Amino acid sequence: MTRDEIYDRLNEVFRDVFDDESITVNDRTTSADIDGWDSLEHINLIAAVEQEFGIHFAMGQIVTMKNVGEMANIIAEKLAARS
Amino acid sequence: MEITSFYFLCFFAALLALYYLVSKRGQWILLFAGSLVYYWFAGSGWLILYPAAAAAATFISTAAMERAERAGKQGLRTAAVLADVLFLIGVLALLKYLKFGMHQADGTIRALAVPLGLSYYTFTLAGYAMDVYNGIAERQRNPAKLLLFGMFFPTMVSGPIQTYRETGAELFKPHRLDYRTVTRGLQRMVWGFFKKLVISERAAVLANTIFQGYGRYPGAYIWFGAVMFTIQLYTDFSGCMDIVIGAAEALGIRLPENFAQPFFSRTISEYWRRWHITLGVWMRNYVFYPLLRTKGMMQLSRTLRKKLGKKAGKEITTILAMFVLWTAVGLWHGGDIKYVIGSGLLHWFYIVAGELTLPFWKKVLPALHIRMEGKGADFFRIVRTFILVNVGNVFFNAASAGDACAMLRLGVSRWNPQILVNGSLLSLGLDWEDMAILAISVLVLFLVDLLSVLPDRQGNVMCVRDRIAERKLPVRWLFWLCLLFFVIIFGEYGPGYSSAAFIYQGF
Repeated sequence: MTRDEIYDRLNEVFRDVFDDESITVNDRTTSADIDGWDSLEHINLIAAVEQEFGIHFAMGQIVTMKNVGEMANIIAEKLAARS
Repeated sequence: MEITSFYFLCFFAALLALYYLVSKRGQWILLFAGSLVYYWFAGSGWLILYPAAAAAATFISTAAMERAERAGKQGLRTAAVLADVLFLIGVLALLKYLKFGMHQADGTIRALAVPLGLSYYTFTLAGYAMDVYNGIAERQRNPAKLLLFGMFFPTMVSGPIQTYRETGAELFKPHRLDYRTVTRGLQRMVWGFFKKLVISERAAVLANTIFQGYGRYPGAYIWFGAVMFTIQLYTDFSGCMDIVIGAAEALGIRLPENFAQPFFSRTISEYWRRWHITLGVWMRNYVFYPLLRTKGMMQLSRTLRKKLGKKAGKEITTILAMFVLWTAVGLWHGGDIKYVIGSGLLHWFYIVAGELTLPFWKKVLPALHIRMEGKGADFFRIVRTFILVNVGNVFFNAASAGDACAMLRLGVSRWNPQILVNGSLLSLGLDWEDMAILAISVLVLFLVDLLSVLPDRQGNVMCVRDRIAERKLPVRWLFWLCLLFFVIIFGEYGPGYSSAAFIYQGF
């Protein structure tokens, strides 16, 4: 899966979780940029991303990822390891 | 050796001077020795064996985790972290909640003394062990360094709870003498002394009078007492943090912040992201997230989503996990039901009620032509959050949950706002001079907090300390000397006077 394809699917997940069709994420997007992305919603977002890509984040990754770019990197690594 | 005492200032001055005189490689050894000396003389003596045992257990556990990983034994790795966390939390529970004690000859049980900083070093070390397990923290191979991380002397009073992967290395790297770093640290300490000795000690007199004899103080007195206690608690705890973080800063060591102007929060959730930040982060990372990631909770979430729909399924699981989280936050403050309610479940109720009634307000308020956005709405939310926090604090400071309920009933039993302006408040233990000093100091504190969140002319948001640092040398020195002399003249301290222990020191 290319990085663009990962982002297409991530955008869908973000729009669905935060109920906002105008969201478009990029490498530098952080929780400060998206209304409602707090610590409660973070864990719901993680579950939705896991379901979308069929992967599982480790707890260490969940608490340390600083922006969507790091999330996309982890997704790409996990998908590459699976294929 | 309270950190507001003359002895502490002598100890700290000597340590600070030696710290920049010894070799860079010896700095952490000096901090280690200083932390042991502080712990010993801060009243805990041989109780120092408790944090030493906690650090030893964590050292052994993380070493076992590393060995198990090399051998590919995941089960053994998990067993090692579980054993350590259970040991640490178990000792905390025995000493703090079960009042575990020794049987006396007369048949009574004498509770064991609680070591200084018990919950702070316990959470700091348990968090470190779990981070090593999760692969996001390097294992510390020197047991003395691990013990220093666990019981770095300023943090033993009231935290902050440290995260090894973020600030742990600060303790061990060499620090060069830097005029700006040292003066900024000392400036922050003076600000902390101002909060504790000038404001908190005075607000405490008023709060104590009302809370201890609440039967005589109906109506507005109760709310005045609640607000005074909230001011006392904030200036006590955040003042302590200013002294602690400032002392560490003077040594070149960055500690995590615990406060970010909490009373400008618009919601209770936001309040907890700004109040006692390190406890909130700890609870989120090591209780809330792991709980929601358990197989049981994930299965429950999937089932509820299928049966009740996506939104309801998600909300119910989150509400359940938050119930556990807030019970844990309440219990952290103490085993008494008043803490479980006032600092825990009441806040859980606020958040859940807010979330569940939001769709209702979104329909009703526009129909009534009341705007939900804008400065007026934000102001309303800030005042509402402040009132809700004050209700929780009545439980926090009352002798029991029953007393808190009786106080709240008395608070709405009489309409007597005139007592706020007719001089009645002068009968609560402070004369008009002390009242005036308290009022002016609280106003200064409010303005400083406000200036820390409002952008300046260039649109930058800067803390007041940075704003002052940009002024010319005579102006900034004049400001800091005025503050210092204000504390010296109006602070409640000195021979024959012992400032009250920090409230969060007991936790």
